Amino acid sequence: MRPPPGRRYDPAMISRLPGLSLPERVWNTARRWAVAWWRILYLGAVVLVLVLSPSSYGKGTRRALARHLYLDTAPVLLGFTVLAALISLVLTRIVVVTALSYGLSRYALEMVIRVLVLELIPLTAALFVAMRCTIPNGAQLSRLRQAGRLAALRSQGSDPVRIELLPRVIAGVFACVTLAALSCVVALVLAYLGVYGFNMAGLSGYTRMFGQVFSPSVTMVFVLKTLFFSLAVALIPMAAGLYDSGERTQPDSELGGLARMFAVLLLIETASLMGNYY
Amino acid sequence: MNDPTPTPPTAADGAPPVETLRPVAHLELKAAALLLFTLALIVGSGLYLLYARGAFEPTQTLVLTADDSEGVVVGMDMTFSGFPIGRVRRIELADSGNARILIDVPRKDAHWLRASSVFTLVRGLVGGTNIRAYSGILTDDPLPDGAVRPVLRGDATAEIPQLMATARELLTNLNALTSPDAALGSSLANVKTLTDRLNGPGGALGVLMGNETDAKKIIATLERTNALLARLDGMAARADRQVLGSDGSKDALVPEVRAAVAQLNGLLADTRASVKKVDAVLAEAQAVGANAREATNDLGALRAEVESNLRKVESLVNEINRKWPFARDTELKLP
Repeated sequence: MRPPPGRRYDPAMISRLPGLSLPERVWNTARRWAVAWWRILYLGAVVLVLVLSPSSYGKGTRRALARHLYLDTAPVLLGFTVLAALISLVLTRIVVVTALSYGLSRYALEMVIRVLVLELIPLTAALFVAMRCTIPNGAQLSRLRQAGRLAALRSQGSDPVRIELLPRVIAGVFACVTLAALSCVVALVLAYLGVYGFNMAGLSGYTRMFGQVFSPSVTMVFVLKTLFFSLAVALIPMAAGLYDSGERTQPDSELGGLARMFAVLLLIETASLMGNYY
Repeated sequence: MNDPTPTPPTAADGAPPVETLRPVAHLELKAAALLLFTLALIVGSGLYLLYARGAFEPTQTLVLTADDSEGVVVGMDMTFSGFPIGRVRRIELADSGNARILIDVPRKDAHWLRASSVFTLVRGLVGGTNIRAYSGILTDDPLPDGAVRPVLRGDATAEIPQLMATARELLTNLNALTSPDAALGSSLANVKTLTDRLNGPGGALGVLMGNETDAKKIIATLERTNALLARLDGMAARADRQVLGSDGSKDALVPEVRAAVAQLNGLLADTRASVKKVDAVLAEAQAVGANAREATNDLGALRAEVESNLRKVESLVNEINRKWPFARDTELKLP
């Protein structure tokens, strides 16, 4: 870790050198941690307020919003749907064949729906959107900030959060919800086809079973989970991109943003599982 | 890693704004279509869910009362002949301490439930609890809305303790049977000695008689019976010969009998002829008898005639006597 002679020392690296005492390092870490979470919460509140205020959808921002909405969702929609269809087809097949061999085929379809539609697809959609859209958008925001565009906007009197961040967050949420909805529908159709084949004979039983799985509480947990997934995926990388100042170490902070996003996803998933099954 | 700050800003200086401003053809149209598509997906899914939950179906309520609602969950089906025709909407505790299971039955399926329908709550060993409806008389009155019916419980697990008790009893009995000092053991030992004796000298006879001398007696009896039978055989052969006779011999019984029968036949023929003669004689005697009867009849008539003539003669004599009294003895004798 020792730098080659003649190079300038990075202040961040200096802060990590073993010159600082343990309490100072703990304090620094805790402060960074608290500040990062606070920024996420604060930005979430700001975005929520902006989303709910009609002035955010003015003529100037509407075009940027439409652009982000379209560019974040449409290119990945087909690919992700195909991927989800493939996964659901394979999983349906595995579950149905296994259940048949144990003589539990009447529970197979319910299990497929629970595993695929309720649990796997929303999480996969959120992760996919994070990888394809929101993390690159966060990096883009960070580059814009470093290029001084945000400061320029601020100096022009407009709000950089409203101009640059809000469309990206809304686009991320929208992409997440769209992908999840479409792949859930595709997975439901494919599960039906995988079990009953191309006929309508099992439709009434399937509908009934679908209604039994999606009881009001399960539906509510599902909707909330998808919504919170999309919010977490859309918001946390943006927060990391927006707030990290140059005096901190950049790569470490981006990784921290990712880790925070995964932690939040994990928390939401755990909470939804507890809500559904306890 | 050593020098992160100088390079990224220069690289990102101009590129991102240029990239974000790349034009998209018919942007607003596409964005609106995408929004509409998502909206349609979500609304469609919601409507399908509502339909699947039976929100658009007119239903009637059926209340089942059970002493225990364990295993019954909201949303579970009530089946009729294996087809789901109702759904549990709510489970509540009544004032009497019973469980009230409120079931929504769609109107189009309600005709399967009749006033005489029976409802059961069956809890299997594997799988969930089932509520089943049975309608024996489908021509009965339909079940009214809000009907309250008791539910019969059939619980497979409830029988397990009883089953265990019975099994334990059975095992105890088995243990008692198979213990070393049990009757079964001694019986088996006896069977073993029996088979030993069966295999030993004397065999089954020895077993039957109990000791060897008696068995020997039996054997001796058998041998003597055999000899007796041989002698009987000889006697029978002799009798046979005497009765039927050997070829050419004349002293057999049967040929003599045959000859006697032939003679008897001849005798009988003679007798028949004699009897025929007697018959003719009898016929003649009958004719004589008939003649005699006729003669007797004629004699009767004759006698009657003679009697009437005599009476006339007598009356004539009396007349003459009166008119002309030949006898002069007319005195009157007085006492």
